[in-house]
Amino acid sequence: MAARDQHGSGAPWGAEFKVVGQPHRKIDGLAKATGSAVYTDDIQLPGMLHAKTLRSPHAHANIVSIDVTKALELEGVHAIITGTDLPINYGVIPWTPDEHALANGKVRFIGDEVAAVAAIDEDTANAALKLIKVEYEVLEAFFDPREALAKTEPAIHEQKPLKDGSSRGNVSKHVKLEFGDVDAALASSDVVVEHDYSFHGTTHAAIEPHCAVGQYSADGLLTVHSSTQITHYVQRALARVLELPEAKVRVIQPFLGGAFGGKSDPFSLEFCVAKLAMITGRPVKMLWTREEVFYAHRGRHPMQLTYRTGANKDGKLTATDAKILIDGGSYSSFGLVTTYYSGQLLTGPVDIPTYRFDSTRVFTNKPPCGPKRGHGSVQPRFAFEIQLDEIAEKLNLDPIELRRRNWQGEQTKTVNGQRITSNGFMQCLDLVEQQSDWKARYGKLPDGRGLGVAGSMYISGTNYPIYPNDMPQAGIQLQVDRSGRVTVFTGGNDIGQGSSSMCAYIVSEELGVDLGDIRVIAADTDLCPVDLGAYSSRVTFMVGNATIDACRKLRKQICTAVAEKWEVEVAAVRLGGGLALCLSDAQKTIPVREAFQWAEARFDTLGSTGSYNTPTLGGDYRGGTIGASPAYSFTAHAAEVTVDRETGRITCEKVWCAHDCGRALNPTLVKGQIEGSVYMGAAEVTMEDHGINRFGLHSGPSLLDYRIPTSLDTPDIEALIVESIDPEGPYGAKEAGEGPLHSVIPAIANAVYDAVGIRLRHLPFTPGKVLAALEEKEAGQPAGTAS
Amino acid sequence: MRLLELEINGDRLHVAAPPHWTLLEVLRYELGLTGTKQGCDKGDCGACTVLVDGKPQLSCLMLGSAAQGHAITTIEGLLPAHRAQGGAGADPVQDAFDRCGALQCGFCQPGMMLSAKALLSENPTPTSTDIKHALSGNLCRCTGYTQILEAALLAATKTEEVL
Amino acid sequence: MLRLPTFQLHEPASLKEACALFAEHGAAAKILAGGTDLLPNLKHEIYDVDHVISLAKLPGITGFEMQGHDLVIGALTPLAQVATNPNIQKHAPALAQAASLVAGPQHRQMGTLGGNVMLDTRCQWINQSYFWREALGFCLKKDGTVCHVVEGGKKCVAAASNDTAPALMTLGASLTFVSATGTREIPIEDLWVADGINNKSARPGEILTEIRLPLRDHTHHGAYGKLRERGSIDFPLLGCAVRIDLDDADCVRDAAVSLVALQARPLLIKGVDALLQGLKLGSTELDQAIEAVAQLAHKKCKPLDNIPGDKDYRRRMVPVYVRRTLRAALDGTGPVHHI
Ligand SMILES: Cc1cc2nc3c(=O)[nH]c(=O)nc-3n(C[C@H](O)[C@H](O)[C@H](O)COP(=O)(O)OP(=O)(O)OC[C@H]3O[C@@H](n4cnc5c(N)ncnc54)[C@H](O)[C@@H]3O)c2cc1C
Ligand code: SF4
Ligand code: FES
Ligand code: FES
Repeated sequence: MAARDQHGSGAPWGAEFKVVGQPHRKIDGLAKATGSAVYTDDIQLPGMLHAKTLRSPHAHANIVSIDVTKALELEGVHAIITGTDLPINYGVIPWTPDEHALANGKVRFIGDEVAAVAAIDEDTANAALKLIKVEYEVLEAFFDPREALAKTEPAIHEQKPLKDGSSRGNVSKHVKLEFGDVDAALASSDVVVEHDYSFHGTTHAAIEPHCAVGQYSADGLLTVHSSTQITHYVQRALARVLELPEAKVRVIQPFLGGAFGGKSDPFSLEFCVAKLAMITGRPVKMLWTREEVFYAHRGRHPMQLTYRTGANKDGKLTATDAKILIDGGSYSSFGLVTTYYSGQLLTGPVDIPTYRFDSTRVFTNKPPCGPKRGHGSVQPRFAFEIQLDEIAEKLNLDPIELRRRNWQGEQTKTVNGQRITSNGFMQCLDLVEQQSDWKARYGKLPDGRGLGVAGSMYISGTNYPIYPNDMPQAGIQLQVDRSGRVTVFTGGNDIGQGSSSMCAYIVSEELGVDLGDIRVIAADTDLCPVDLGAYSSRVTFMVGNATIDACRKLRKQICTAVAEKWEVEVAAVRLGGGLALCLSDAQKTIPVREAFQWAEARFDTLGSTGSYNTPTLGGDYRGGTIGASPAYSFTAHAAEVTVDRETGRITCEKVWCAHDCGRALNPTLVKGQIEGSVYMGAAEVTMEDHGINRFGLHSGPSLLDYRIPTSLDTPDIEALIVESIDPEGPYGAKEAGEGPLHSVIPAIANAVYDAVGIRLRHLPFTPGKVLAALEEKEAGQPAGTAS
Repeated sequence: MRLLELEINGDRLHVAAPPHWTLLEVLRYELGLTGTKQGCDKGDCGACTVLVDGKPQLSCLMLGSAAQGHAITTIEGLLPAHRAQGGAGADPVQDAFDRCGALQCGFCQPGMMLSAKALLSENPTPTSTDIKHALSGNLCRCTGYTQILEAALLAATKTEEVL
Repeated sequence: MLRLPTFQLHEPASLKEACALFAEHGAAAKILAGGTDLLPNLKHEIYDVDHVISLAKLPGITGFEMQGHDLVIGALTPLAQVATNPNIQKHAPALAQAASLVAGPQHRQMGTLGGNVMLDTRCQWINQSYFWREALGFCLKKDGTVCHVVEGGKKCVAAASNDTAPALMTLGASLTFVSATGTREIPIEDLWVADGINNKSARPGEILTEIRLPLRDHTHHGAYGKLRERGSIDFPLLGCAVRIDLDDADCVRDAAVSLVALQARPLLIKGVDALLQGLKLGSTELDQAIEAVAQLAHKKCKPLDNIPGDKDYRRRMVPVYVRRTLRAALDGTGPVHHI
C-alpha cells in the first residue's frame, strides 16, 4: 500500500509537468455533448418492468395494515413488495442503521416509502398504487426541532436508552467537545460578540432525478445500475438487505447527472428494483419523479446556532463557544458525521485558541437531511464569519486584516487536534483584496452597494472510512495494451466533477501516453477496485494518489525494460508526450507504445495496482478522527451586493473566490468547481428554501417552487486559483468541489451590512426580512435585532 | 395508440405511441433517442429542450402527436448535420462546450446546447446578456453558468468563422 | 417520470369541427393550445377530462392583422411573437413587455396568447401532484371541501397569474369566442369571474379565436412591471400593467392601471384616470398624482397566501410597482423587472 509522502508533490521526472496544470478537455466531454453518454434512465433492457413507489401521506403514523390484493389483480402488474419483503435495516453510517427500503411498520415523514409495484409500464404501476389500501394509525408529528427535543413521546425512532437509563427521546446525536478553557478566555476578552443565527434547509437539486435498474440473473447475480455517488456502499447495503453475498452483487454507476451529496446514501429505489427483479426474474427500472427526489432529500440540515466569540484589542481571537440545534429530519443518514462536522471543521483558517461546541441533532417528521456540498460545516461557517465581521467592526479593524492577524499558519495543529499541512489562505485573502479593489472600495461604496469578505477551510477526504477497516480507501488498477492504450480501473465515482478525467491526466503525466489513448472504467464494482465514493471531497486526493502509485510501479518496469535495451541508466529514461526518451542521448526515442511492448516482452503482461490510505490523523478523543483530513483546502470570498432599499431585494452582483486547491491538476475543471460552488452557495442566501409547511408537506417539491438560479440570477464569478502545493496530495492537489461554497454565504451577509448597515443573521435573506431590518434600523433599534 | 409520422434530425420516422405520451417520452422510450433528458417532468427545468423548426421548445410539455409536421432537432442531430456539411469533429457548439469545461455532469447540456444553437442561428454575434437571456430557461446545477457563457461566446466566434 | 393521464386526443382540422367536438364533450374536454399550462395541470390530475382537443391543426388563428382601427391577434399566436412584433411593441408596449416576461424562452415559443388569457388560476395548494394534494386532504378547487388560504372560506381564491391579462385590460382588449352555437365578442373585463375554480365566464364549448386591440398612436404610453424571484421562468408574484395616453399638449388624456397575481380576477383599478387626467408630463402635480395612484392601488389590492411568496411583502410591493411602472411608461423604459 502506498504510504503517505511517497509521491511528493513534484512532476514525475523532476522538471516541468507535461499534462498536469494545463487546461485539458474531459475524457468524456464529447460523449456528453453529443448525447451519446448513457445515464441510468437511458438504459433499456429487454423485458424490463417499470416500478413505482407508494408513499406515506402522513408525517408520522403506524401502519396497521396494507392490502395489495386489488392492485395485484390489475393486468400488467407483476409484483408488489412492502416492508415485510425487505425487513432488514440499513444506513450509510453502520452505527445508525435506522432506515428500511420500505416502511417497517412505521412512517416518519410525508413521502416515506411504503410499497413498490413492478408493472409492464409506469402507467400500470401508477394505477396499481391507487389500488393499494393502507390503514394508518396517525401519530403526533414534530416539525419543529425544539418541540421534538422537548417531547420524548411519541419518539420518532425507538432508540436504546442512554447509559443512565434515561430516554434519548428524539435526539439523533449529541456531541459536546471543549478544547481549552473557553469560559475563562471569554471572561478575560476585550470584546465578545454573541448572537443567534439560523440556517434554513436547502437541497441539492441535481438535474438528473434518481434512477435505478435492477437485474437478477438466472445464476443468482444481482446487477444494479444506479445514479449513485457511492457504488461501494450501495453494494454493501444491497448485500446486507437482500441477504446476498457481496460477491454476488454488482453495482454500476452509469453517467451521473449531478449529485452534490444527494446521491450518497443507499436509497429505497435501489433495494426495490433489486428485490422486484429477484421476484419477477425480469429487469426492473425505477425512475423517481422530481417530487420524489425532494422527498429523498438528504440536503443541508437546518441549524439554529448560538455563537459567542471573544477577541482582544490587538484583534487576536480568544475563544469561540457554539451551541447548535440541528434539524435532522426523519432518519440518521450521515447525521452522526454532520453533528461532528458542525463543530470540528471550524478551527481554521483562523486560529481559535479555545473552542467549545455543543451540537444536538434531533429527529423531526420531515424528509431526512444529509450531506450537501460542504457537509455540516457551511452553517457554522455562516455564523462564525459574521461574528468575525462584527469583531472587526468593534475593534475598528479591516475585516481582511482581522483574518490575517488570526491566520493559523502552515504545518500546524488546530485547537481540536487537526493536522494542517499546506495553507494558502493568506494568498487567498491577498487575491480577493486585490481583485475586488477592496482597499479603495470597502466601506466607501455608495449607499445600497457593499462589499463583504469571509474565509473558510474544508477537508480533502477524511481518515474515517465509514465502516472500520484497515484496507485502502482508494484503489486503482491499470491495464496496459501493446497498442499503447492504457485502461484505468477506478472505483471513483465521476459525478460530473471530472474524477475519471483526473485519473487520465495522471496516467498521461506519469506514463507519457496521449490522453486520447487512455480509457477509464469507473464505478463498476465487478470491474474496479474499491473506492469509497465521491463524498467529503476525497476523490482527487485519494484516487489521485492511488493512480500515481499504480503508475509509478508500471513506469519503473517500463523504464527498466527500455533502459536495458538502450543500455543506459534507468534514471535516464523518461516517458512523456507519447514517447520514451533518453536524457543522455537525444537520438534515442521511441513511441511509448514500443516501450510498452519492450516491457511486456521483458516482464510479462503489464498491469499494476495502486492504492491510498490516510495516515493516522486526528485528535486523541472520541470523535477526534471525524473531520481529520490529510489536507485542508482554504478559501476566501469577497462579495459585492446591491440592496434595493425600496423592494428589499438583495442582488449579488459579483463574487471573487480565491481557493487554495493545493495544485490545480486541470485549472479549467478547478474553475468549474469554484464557479459551481459559488453559484450554489449564493443561491442559498436569497433564493432556495427547502421548506416544510404547516401540514408537514414539502412546500413546493418542484423545480418551479424550489427556485434554483437561472443564468440571469447568477452573479459574475471570478474564480482565482491559489496553489499551496500540498506535500501529500497528488502533485500537491487537495480539493476544489466543496470548499469554495462555504464562505460565499457570510461574505454576502457581510456585504449587505456594508451596503445598508443591517446585520442579517437568519437565512434566507428574503426581501421582506430586509425591509423589516431596514425599518428597525431607521427606528433606531440596534442593527440586527430584526428578522 | 396512434401512428405518428415524425421528422427527427432529418429522418422521417413512423412510430406508434399512445396519445398521452409526450414527445420526450416518444423520443426517449420509443425511439431510443435518450440524448434528450428529463429533469422535472413538467416544464420547469429545460433539460428536455429540443428544436422545433429551429426554435427551442420543451418536449415534456408537447404531445408526441403535436410534433408531427414540424422538423425536430435533438442533440443527436447536431454532429451528423455538421458532418453532412463537411465539418470535422463535433458541431462548433458541442466542441466549444467541451473545450470550456462547460460539461460537468452534462445532464442539462443537451437542452442547453440546443438553446445556444438556436440563439446563434438567429444572432451569430450575441452579447453575454443575449446569451444569459436565451439560456435562462435551461437550469444547470453544476457550472454556475460561467463556463457555459464562455462556451457560447466561443461558439459564436467559431460560428462566425464558418459563415 | 410524472405521467399524463390517459385521454382521447382530437386534432380537428377546422374551427367548425373543433367547436362541434367541444360542444359534444363539454366539461369533459379541454382545449390544448401551447400546452404549457394544460399539460402540467393534467399531470397534476387537477382536471377530470377524457378528451383533449388540440388546436394545432386549425388554420388561420395565428398571427397579427390590422383591421380598420383594430389590431387583431390570433389566439394561437406564440408569446415570443407577441413580444417581438413591431406593431405590438408600438401600439401595445405593455402587452409586448408582459409577453416577453412570461415564463422562460422555451415557454414563450410554445405558449400562446390565447392560452395565456385562458390560463387557469394558481395556488400553492393546487399546483401539486395528486399524491401531494391527497396528503393535504385536497381543497375546494378540486376533490376537496375546504380552502387552505382563507380559513373557513367557501370560495376558491386561487390567483389569476397570467402576465398578459392586466396588459390587455389596460388596453381595452376584446375577445372573440366561437362555439357551435355562434360567435361572441366580449370586452376582456367581462371575462373574469371572482371564482378561483373557474375565473372565466367563457363556457365549455367556447373557443377563444381572437384578441382585438384598438390601435393607438404616438401619444400612447404603456408598460408592464413584474415582481418575481428569478429573472426567468417564474410566474408573477405581482404583475402590473399601465396605460397613459397623452393629448397634444402632453397632458394625460386617459390612463389605466391593472394588476394580476392577487386573487381570482385580474384587477383594473378604478379611479386612476380621474387622478391623472389633465396633468402635464414632467409636472410635480403629475408626480404627486402618480404617488396617489400607487397609494390607491395599495388600498385596493390585498394579496392572499394563495400563490407562494409572502403576502404582506407582495402587498408592500403594490405601490412600488405601480409607481415604477407608471414612470417607466412615461419614460419609455419598461418593462419594470429586476433583471
Ligand atoms: C415553468 C412555467 C412557468 C410559467 N410562467 C408563467 C409566467 O410567468 N406567466 C404566465 O402568464 N404564465 C406562465 N406559465 C404558464 C404558461 O406557459 C403561459 O401562461 C402560456 O401562455 C399558456 O399558453 P398555452 O398556449 O401554452 O396554454 P395551454 O396550456 O394550451 O392552455 C391553457 C389553458 O387555456 C385553455 N385554452 C388555451 N387556448 C384556448 C383557446 N383558444 N380557447 C379556449 N381555451 C383555451 C386550455 O384549455 C387551458 O385550460 C408558465 C408555465 C410553466 C410550465
Ligand atoms: S384558494 Fe387555493 S386552497 Fe383555496 S380552494 Fe382555491 S386552490 Fe384550493
Ligand atoms: S423535463 Fe421538460 S422542462 Fe424539465
Ligand atoms: S452540467 Fe450538470 S446540470 Fe449542467
